[in-house]
Amino acid sequence: MSAVQARRVAAENLIVVPYRRVSVAALATNTLLILLGCFFLLPMLWMVFASVDSNPDWAIKLPTLTLANFADVLSRADALTSFRSSLILAGTTTVLTTVLALLAAYPLSRMHIPFKRSFMLAILFASGLPVSMLIIPVYQMYVSFGWLDSLYATALFLSASSLPFAIWLMKNFIDAVPVELEQAAAIDGASTFRILRELVLPLTVPGIAVTGIYTFINAWGAFIIPFVLTYSPDNQPGPVEIYNFMGSHGLFKFGDLAVFSLLFSLPVIVLYLFMSRYFSGAFNFGGAVK
Amino acid sequence: MSLAVAAGLGPRLDRERFQWSSLLMLSPALALLGVLFVFPVLYAGYLGFTNLALVGSRSRDYEFTGLDNITRMLGDYVFIKSSWLTIIFVVGSAIVGQTVLGMALAILLRNALVSVRVVIGSIVIVAWVLPEITVALVWYAFSQAGGTLSILLRQTDTNFLVTVPMLIVSLANLWRNVAFSMLVFSAGLRNLPTEVLEAAEVEGASAWRRYRLVVLPLLKPTIVTNLLLVTILNLSEFTLIYAMTQGGPGIETMTLPLYVYQEAFVFHQLGYGTAISLVLVLIGAVFSLLFVRASRSQV
Amino acid sequence: MLSEVRFEGVHKIFGTETAVEDLNLTVNAGEFLVLVGPSGCGKTTTLRMLAGLERPSYGRILIGDRLVNNVSPRFRDVAMVFQSYALYPHMNVYDNLAFGMRARGAAGGLIAQQVKETAAVLGLGHLMKRRPSELSGGQRQRVALGRALIRQPQVFLMDEPLSNLDAGLRVQMRAELSRLHERFRVTTLYVTHDQVEAMTMGDRIAVMNSGRLQQVDAPETLYDNPANTFVAGFIGSPRMNFVPGRLTTAQGATAVEFLGVKAPLSSRAKLTADAAEGEVMVGLRPEDLMWRRAAAPESTLTISAEVDVVEPMGHEAYVTAVCAGETVTSRFPPRSGVRTRERIELALNPARLHLFDAHSGTTILQRPAAGGAELPRSVGEARIDEPAEGRSERHRQPQSRGMQSRTEEIS
Repeated sequence: MSAVQARRVAAENLIVVPYRRVSVAALATNTLLILLGCFFLLPMLWMVFASVDSNPDWAIKLPTLTLANFADVLSRADALTSFRSSLILAGTTTVLTTVLALLAAYPLSRMHIPFKRSFMLAILFASGLPVSMLIIPVYQMYVSFGWLDSLYATALFLSASSLPFAIWLMKNFIDAVPVELEQAAAIDGASTFRILRELVLPLTVPGIAVTGIYTFINAWGAFIIPFVLTYSPDNQPGPVEIYNFMGSHGLFKFGDLAVFSLLFSLPVIVLYLFMSRYFSGAFNFGGAVK
Repeated sequence: MSLAVAAGLGPRLDRERFQWSSLLMLSPALALLGVLFVFPVLYAGYLGFTNLALVGSRSRDYEFTGLDNITRMLGDYVFIKSSWLTIIFVVGSAIVGQTVLGMALAILLRNALVSVRVVIGSIVIVAWVLPEITVALVWYAFSQAGGTLSILLRQTDTNFLVTVPMLIVSLANLWRNVAFSMLVFSAGLRNLPTEVLEAAEVEGASAWRRYRLVVLPLLKPTIVTNLLLVTILNLSEFTLIYAMTQGGPGIETMTLPLYVYQEAFVFHQLGYGTAISLVLVLIGAVFSLLFVRASRSQV
Repeated sequence: MLSEVRFEGVHKIFGTETAVEDLNLTVNAGEFLVLVGPSGCGKTTTLRMLAGLERPSYGRILIGDRLVNNVSPRFRDVAMVFQSYALYPHMNVYDNLAFGMRARGAAGGLIAQQVKETAAVLGLGHLMKRRPSELSGGQRQRVALGRALIRQPQVFLMDEPLSNLDAGLRVQMRAELSRLHERFRVTTLYVTHDQVEAMTMGDRIAVMNSGRLQQVDAPETLYDNPANTFVAGFIGSPRMNFVPGRLTTAQGATAVEFLGVKAPLSSRAKLTADAAEGEVMVGLRPEDLMWRRAAAPESTLTISAEVDVVEPMGHEAYVTAVCAGETVTSRFPPRSGVRTRERIELALNPARLHLFDAHSGTTILQRPAAGGAELPRSVGEARIDEPAEGRSERHRQPQSRGMQSRTEEIS
């Protein structure tokens, strides 16, 4: 064997190292994750199985399939009303919060405003304050305004409580849009209004979507605020209705309860899936600015 | 020279001009926040020192009572217990549980097969997106006598929500919120400079050493941010616990937000309830300060 | 329409930092002026002030005869190419090009026609439906250029437009930009840190350093008569050698001593009034410091040195040598065969010396007035004049040098 050949064989021996191999660590990682996944899946699975089971109980078991629970819940007036209330409450809150946050975030991101830093710190601090503290004075105010038991008035407070975080979130999104684009548009002769409409708005769509969906998910699940500020059955949104249902006869009607909460959870899950999809593709700033 | 000479040139021509349009755009948000956020906060600061009640004569003719509410708190057995429960809940479920499990999940998912990562990651996130009332319900079912948990542990007669209520409530909270920490840490890991990790790998550090000696120190700002946010969010947790136990059995899960609600809207003591909520804010401030201090001292 | 641009006593201060200090500069109508300097020298700030993206702290900026200090960018009628291109990411190439005309309310038909013409000039015709993220770096660069061209503005502003391109494309775009300027003759202010771009593209070059304008001149003048050590060191590659020297006068004849040699300055060498005897800084360009064996007859001075590093470049080689404790770089013909530690002789034409004040760094050779009298060249005379004829001579030089080196090889 010549020297050249010998060298080649040696080189082959050195190079052939499998890039990917099934290691003990990888096996352990994936197994551990699957076990953890079960811990997260099991409680949810109960809800899914119980909703289509004709004879459910507290434990997960293979269901005796039926759609009776769905028919039952969908024929209940209180269930449908609560959906309507939730929609009004979360919808109003989302629109109001997103619009106000967008309007406030733009100047906070781009313009000269005295004490801007302190203002942003205050906003951050405010988003950490517990609602349990605000609810008492607000209840007191609503009593004197005569605003109790109004879905729109309740949405107003829900907006106020979600606004600080929404402003903060939205400002971060606008900050990420390169200022140079606006400068280029200004040099191109565009008016402030045109810049806002044709540049800032379309480029902030992901931020608007994320802020809006985040606000909606929170408002959809909001419990204590409508719990305190509304009382008539017609104005009780889903969470309050489910809570009442659990308290009264729900514990004997597992199936209905499971269907109710499943149906109530679906919109936010769908929205979340939509949002994660939105994130992954669609917009790419990479091409425009180096 | 520069500045000194320039000073002789008269007034600066480039002083920042306040643009009225900025105020125009800010004003709706400022108005809403002023009326339904800032004012209530200030109002709470006042109400906490009054004997305002929900019904009866004190609901109209309440008065400033100075430090009465504070003295009452110090002798209030339920308040003391409630404060401890709150701290146990926050430290156990949020600070330890959520942070450790969240980071573990982030690291594990990073190294997992793509399919496992997508499926498990989604399940964890769905648990977070679910409305709290749904989480309360499924965990209520999970922990009942005859529920899934009791079957798994072969104690079908035990209602864990009665025997270990604080643990179950904390677990449910952990189950729901861990996705938040997981996402925070995933982002933190993604932003780490890959060269540093590769350098450590080339130098032959084991995975464990790499994480302990390289990743953890680099993740420190992320950890502090996570601790801060998680603590503040969990301190005011109300819905989950209330829907599962209403603070019971007895007062075994009566954390401060629940106690505030009970005093204010069940016992009609709005003034005293507000005072307790101010203590809640104080605890939050203390925790935040501790974290910020800790992050400064060691960096 | 051609407009000149004037900066009059312009300062820009950010916090406690002075970015631009007392800038007085005129960009002539139709001129391509390159503003060059190291990063942080204030050149981009100057450009942004002209665009209206920053307001000057003091002073006046005029476009044509119009004071624009307080005119918003929208109404300045300038077009700018950003370093990052700043293309609108959500619009396709057509809309990117049309945006400015639409913003100014042009008619639809006119816009379509102009976009088409501009795209044709830049070879973008087939890319109209693409978004910026679907374009290559060079194509993005062209779109950014097109967005400026289509506007037919009074002034073009370009902020390091070529710095994100790879080397080959950069050379190509450099030529294309020059060609476009030849064609449209719009007043242009071009910012770069690259002295090659400055030398090849500028009608005139303005050199800035730490916020101060150092010198404004035609490329060759700048090269041959740098106003101070900064300009001398910044323009030219490899960098000019600086060695300490002494100026002496004996029996009415001035001479400069450096590197162990004494170079007489002829009576015709004009020194500035404040040039005094004593310490000076002597500047020697590497190409003026040649290998004795390859040197032209005018290179009368001979310096002995020891080779430190030889850097072959293919068509030539740079030899770093140590002489009297100073390290100097000289330009050698290729394949000279010299090696490290070898003793060599370097030749220098004393007419090519640059002399600077040892403390302030400003030149002490008197610079000629514009179109100054032509001075005859002879051995031993410091060259102080570089009118049109001198320029053409410099263009010829490399050629003649090439021939020299070729003969050198043969011998």
